[in-house]
Amino acid sequence: MAVRTEELLLNVGPQHPSTHGVFRLVVKLDGEIITDAQPVIGYLHRGTEKLAEDLTYTQIIPYTDRMDYLSAMTNNYVLCHAVETMMGIEVPERAEYLRVIVMELNRIASHLLWFGTYLLDLGAMSPFLYAMEEREKILDLFNELCGARITFNYMRVGGVKWDAPDGWIDKVRDFIPYMREQLDGYHKLVTGNEIFLRRLKGVGKYDAQTAIAYGLSGVNLRCTGVRRDVRKDEPYSIYDRFEFDVPVATEGDCYARYLLRMEEIRQSLRILEQAVAQFPKEGAVMAKVPRVIRPPAGETYVRIEAPRGELGCYIHSKGKDKPYRLKFRRPSFHNLQILPKLLIGENMANLVAILGGIDIVLGEVDC
Amino acid sequence: MLGLAKGLGYTLRRLTEKKVTYRYPDVPVKMPDRFRGIQHFDPDKCIVCHQCERICPTQCINLTGKPHPDPTKKGKVIDTYDINFEICILCDLCTEVCPTEAIVMTNNFELAAYSRDELFKDREWLAANNTNVRSENSTNLLPGGKKS
Amino acid sequence: MAHWLSQPLSWTTAAVFLASAVAMLLVVLLFVTYAIYFERKVIGWIQLRRGPNRVGPYGLLQSVADVLKLLVKEDVIPDRADRTLFILAPVIAFVPAFAVLAVLPFTETLHFADLGVGLLYYVAVSGITTLGILLGGWASNNKYALLGGMRSVAQMISYEIPLVISVIGVVLLAGSLNLKEIVAAQSGGFWNWFFLKQILGFAVFVVAALAELNRTPFDLPEAESELVAGYHVEYSGFRFAFFMLAEYVYVFAMSALATVLFLGGWHPPIESLGFVPGLVWFALKFAFCVFFLFWLRATMPRVRVDQLMTFAWKVLLPLALLNLFLTALVKELVA
Ligand code: SF4
Ligand code: SF4
Repeated sequence: MAVRTEELLLNVGPQHPSTHGVFRLVVKLDGEIITDAQPVIGYLHRGTEKLAEDLTYTQIIPYTDRMDYLSAMTNNYVLCHAVETMMGIEVPERAEYLRVIVMELNRIASHLLWFGTYLLDLGAMSPFLYAMEEREKILDLFNELCGARITFNYMRVGGVKWDAPDGWIDKVRDFIPYMREQLDGYHKLVTGNEIFLRRLKGVGKYDAQTAIAYGLSGVNLRCTGVRRDVRKDEPYSIYDRFEFDVPVATEGDCYARYLLRMEEIRQSLRILEQAVAQFPKEGAVMAKVPRVIRPPAGETYVRIEAPRGELGCYIHSKGKDKPYRLKFRRPSFHNLQILPKLLIGENMANLVAILGGIDIVLGEVDC
Repeated sequence: MLGLAKGLGYTLRRLTEKKVTYRYPDVPVKMPDRFRGIQHFDPDKCIVCHQCERICPTQCINLTGKPHPDPTKKGKVIDTYDINFEICILCDLCTEVCPTEAIVMTNNFELAAYSRDELFKDREWLAANNTNVRSENSTNLLPGGKKS
Repeated sequence: MAHWLSQPLSWTTAAVFLASAVAMLLVVLLFVTYAIYFERKVIGWIQLRRGPNRVGPYGLLQSVADVLKLLVKEDVIPDRADRTLFILAPVIAFVPAFAVLAVLPFTETLHFADLGVGLLYYVAVSGITTLGILLGGWASNNKYALLGGMRSVAQMISYEIPLVISVIGVVLLAGSLNLKEIVAAQSGGFWNWFFLKQILGFAVFVVAALAELNRTPFDLPEAESELVAGYHVEYSGFRFAFFMLAEYVYVFAMSALATVLFLGGWHPPIESLGFVPGLVWFALKFAFCVFFLFWLRATMPRVRVDQLMTFAWKVLLPLALLNLFLTALVKELVA
């Protein structure tokens, strides 16, 4: 008698410890092999883009905080940048430096959180708390600068809301060597760990062609050997003034993505170091902008490099104080598209490693 | 095997390090001055210009004015002023636009309550919430980037 | 104790046995309470936290409070669960955990049953727990629980084999399956302890024991990030407490076993330190074993399930066999 086997339909999520928010994945299992994977998203959809059509540009900024809530500074920036581009506003030097400093700090914080939660997914608990501690230092810096730890609402069209308080820049300067030291510690604790290596090497592999075809960006693209970083390729803000490398890898697996993110922290520290050194002694942090912000009629698309990839903002203005249409290109959403392809045929045990390796933030996926 | 041993060494070394957690409810956490906590509202300063109400991205401020009790004076005085903290996102925009600093941020952040009704704060409550008021206010956002 | 064991069974001896079993149960419960507390503290310290500190002075009553909470919780049995098995499973998991303690000698005089085949008894009885876990996973009628239960059974059965084979080396050297005699064979300084003579066997034993205990890095059955909680996902209240209890009693038993088999039991590391009572030495070594488990938990990620199986069959088992072979060879040549 032949053994009758049955497919097992498993709902991973929407509330599951390693889907990082409310994300649902319907997987069909044949034993432990995944035969089908269907992501279900939208649990966190708040209609930010639609809401924005009814809000003035300043009012939209707090909404962008809540898209990629792990990296609100870059979200703030992309909106302000788009409006500034439309209106041709020249942002004061000091404000640009502050923006770069907070964006890079935020990139580090975001990668740290990714590192921590990823290791937690893989079953190691301590790295999470270590990463949280370092992230806490960054959040404290932000708290001191703008009065909030996650949803900053820090940038404004034409500059930033607050100038750096006394001694703040020095604190950032002190943070850099500290973070470097901790980073070495992480490598000691995690990178050489054989169990860790065996779980990541060769897992979730894809090549450059696939990555481009799926529209991946950020680390998910760079891990296949494509050297693409908007900060380098189309420098915005004052990124052309800093020296930094864009790390790439060619393996295209989860381990390569892990190493790249760790290396990006190092590069962000390099940028920070230079930005802190060049920080202008004084100057305004806000450009002369009209009281009511009314971009001229027309369309604009700008893009920047967020921690998760290419973050774009499209504005269609009819010359009113509210956008006619606003659209964000959210990297998490685009990066997530490759998930079913990566999962099918994989072992169930690799699911969390692959999903975590993509680094999605559900606030951004669902927007 | 070496990697495992290295990791073990690392965790062992951290075992004796200084702890970093706060003893929060026992020892209050001091927030930096700019922290955006629950607003304080000063009815005497308010000129009922409705700017805060208009800028609020979540429409959680409700205010009404009444004619000035002293008939010789022009303008209005505030009658009711409510903030609904169920939906206030503490984004700081109301305090940013207020021309008279009638609405300002404080460092008080403990909002947890057992009932939603308690999150509806009226004029009296906001006026009484007058501790730890933020010293800096957002005047540096005036056009031209004037600093306070 | 030996004195009582050699008496014919009478009401007095039965009473003594009962009393000592109850005393042992209390000691074990106390151990479990504070092992959990200690585990949380140690992991907390490693992670720069303070660990439990709210209930009682230094949080000493935290575990007590947790247990109380579990006891007064509503007892939920899922509608579609297999009721009988669901209720039976925690008992089947727990009883062997306590039963294996009977053969563990703590000092020369302090021990319970003095079985000639003590080691065999331990291995055989502890295998029954697997059944409890499988039943728990199956009876819950939950996909995650079933996956967790199956993983767990596969893992425990695969690792039992290298575990047993690795200790046969010790048995060969000591020439006995009796745990007391195994300890006796390790007297006279730490160089006589079997972890040195049996270094390969010891390594295999440690890895296999970790897997048997379902502890990090082999805590797959309850892999939180994949299976939510594994086989006991549907359990709550005191039934859940039983599973937890079984787990920690096994920590106790396995640490004691490692101490007995490889770390010289109650013998002092150097002969001249003999004035310190044997129980203290035993406790020290035992505490080190327990600490090692917590330390690992704070450091390691989890092994992947398919790698876990290949590791057991392709690496550990050959190593254990090799160890056995070498031991036999050396014993033949030297003796
Ligand atoms: S802080 Fe923001 S959300 Fe809250 S009342 Fe002020 S403007 Fe509205
Ligand atoms: S903006 Fe200030 S002055 Fe105007 S209504 Fe609001 S609180 Fe009153």
